Amino acid sequence: MLHVENLTAAIGDKQILKGLDLDVGSGEVHALMGPNGSGKSTFAHALAGRDGYEIGGTVTLDGADLLEMSPEARAAAGIFMGFQYPVEIPGVNNMYFLRTALNSVRRARGETEIGARDFLAVAKEAMELVEMKQDFLDRAVNAGFSGGEKKRNEILQMAVMQPRLAVLDETDSGLDIDALRIIAGGVNALRGPERSMIVITHYQRLLDYITPDFVHVLVDGRIVQSGDRTLALHLENHGYADYVDTDLDADPRAAPERPLAGASS
Amino acid sequence: MSTAAATSPLRAIELLDGVVRPTKRDESWRYAPHRQLDALTFGPSVAADLPAELDKQIPALDGPRVVIVNGVVDRDRSDFATPHGLHVSSLADAAESQPGLTDRHVDGAELVDAFTAYNLAYATDGAVIVVDAAVDVATPIHVVDVTVPGSATNTSSTGVVIQVGAGSSATVVETRLGAGTELGGSNVRTTIVLGDDAILEHIVVQDLPANQVHLSRVEALQGERSTLRTRSFNLGASYGRLAYHVELAGAGAHAELSGLFFGAGEQTLDQQITVVHRAKDCTSRQLFRGVLDDASTGVFNGGIDVCPGADGTDAEQSNDNLLLSNRAEVNTQPRLEILADEVACKHGATVGQLDDTALYYLRTRGINAEEARRLLINGFADVVVDDVSIETLRNWITRRLGHDHD
Repeated sequence: MLHVENLTAAIGDKQILKGLDLDVGSGEVHALMGPNGSGKSTFAHALAGRDGYEIGGTVTLDGADLLEMSPEARAAAGIFMGFQYPVEIPGVNNMYFLRTALNSVRRARGETEIGARDFLAVAKEAMELVEMKQDFLDRAVNAGFSGGEKKRNEILQMAVMQPRLAVLDETDSGLDIDALRIIAGGVNALRGPERSMIVITHYQRLLDYITPDFVHVLVDGRIVQSGDRTLALHLENHGYADYVDTDLDADPRAAPERPLAGASS
Repeated sequence: MSTAAATSPLRAIELLDGVVRPTKRDESWRYAPHRQLDALTFGPSVAADLPAELDKQIPALDGPRVVIVNGVVDRDRSDFATPHGLHVSSLADAAESQPGLTDRHVDGAELVDAFTAYNLAYATDGAVIVVDAAVDVATPIHVVDVTVPGSATNTSSTGVVIQVGAGSSATVVETRLGAGTELGGSNVRTTIVLGDDAILEHIVVQDLPANQVHLSRVEALQGERSTLRTRSFNLGASYGRLAYHVELAGAGAHAELSGLFFGAGEQTLDQQITVVHRAKDCTSRQLFRGVLDDASTGVFNGGIDVCPGADGTDAEQSNDNLLLSNRAEVNTQPRLEILADEVACKHGATVGQLDDTALYYLRTRGINAEEARRLLINGFADVVVDDVSIETLRNWITRRLGHDHD
């Protein structure tokens, strides 16, 4: 479904992604882990279509070339990105925003737009998923929201947009345990055979709640190891030291043997 | 000076004797297009018909309505029926029958500039709104001022008097429009007097055609514990000038002035605000937002004067601006003069552009770049639009700004 091959991304002279390969099949959940500065967020933004990067390589979604598309076209193609730092948009009503977003992708896909009343039913269902009260929709998008509310709003948007591929960038950062449980519950409810997810996280904690099919370790712009969920547990115990302590100028794939092999990647 | 004398040619000559139009050297006229201002001509009002195309443009508000075309009340288009305790009449009638009512408007006016003098000399008609004491007027009172340049003079002159009695409340909407393609404009002066504990919401919507000039001056005098909420929407005209002079004369009075100026093309939209704290324990808020596209210019000149003895003053002012083009400009200037003790005064101004990260965020949600831009602009402007309590008018404004919430 998602095919990433030799993906590179640079800002000016600074090379951030240095040839990333990844395949995500339909219905799979992949966790992408790595130390700070390894390129996790850049990868998410490269998929979502942020300006300002020099991008190389190939990224296709269901065979369509994503890299040629604008961010809005990618959304219509089925990409949804959950932001690490959701943006506050004062003055724009959350409900209006959600309906505009949904109708924008529906229009782009040649589907009929959804009216205010029908949308309310969609929104209500999504709100129950993330345990949000009605007044949440009447507020401006993320403006004055707590950290947890912002992240819940991301999952709410995902529930409304029903993407083909969700890329969740550090959705767990800054959450207390209750918020983490709610968000993970929402994400799990949205799992399905037709929907894939890339869950980006620094900590294994989130993966106690969202069980990934695959775990990848991203270091210095490349995936240096892939495995099943036990790889995440290993990282929890050992940290990233094994990877980053090696000379980063050397090929990170030459890092010491991990005890966890046998993962498909 | 007697009120009725305002109609006499002699009075006009007397007022205009030696009058000099402002120039760029006058601080409050610094950014005005003087060549255009100099082309304006003023004179006695001559009645004209309301152009048919304007009928649809006027916000359809329920309640009493005074329609003024080229400075003369159009009785057929007006509705003087009022609920108990509210009196709405034409300025010409009121000056005749109850001269005391319009005294302050005429004799109390300060000749701040040539255009005030022109207005005093020629604005012999307009609207007079009086609310008795202890009356809550539920429906808004609508004053529609229309200019149709083309006759002997190209600029119309109108006067509006609003008086709200002690303990009463009312909402007045002043819509200023124009028609035709001739150069010209309108010059409207409004005098507001609020009794003790009175509450007035006063809204000005300026949407003249792009080849016209609009000059507005609102002077308000507030009694003890009274509340004035002004909302101004400076949208049309090549030069739209909305000046406010608010005197907090009674202790504990509260003034809240908010406004939006939304310019494009080569428009200059000018807000000249002065709030004078004369009495103790008054509060004032100024919240103005500008959105400027193309080669338009915005001006915010906001003054807070705290007089000796006005202790316990609490005044705030903010002016936030969004520049949508690198040819657009905004000139924002706070003027604070504080001559009292125990005063809390805050002011701040910002000038920014559309937030790229917010644009990107919206686009990742499938919203195309153009619509994302519009959402952000309107989100910025809506902070002021949302202050308007009349839904019909709020919808009219949002439609005018190019968006529609449903």
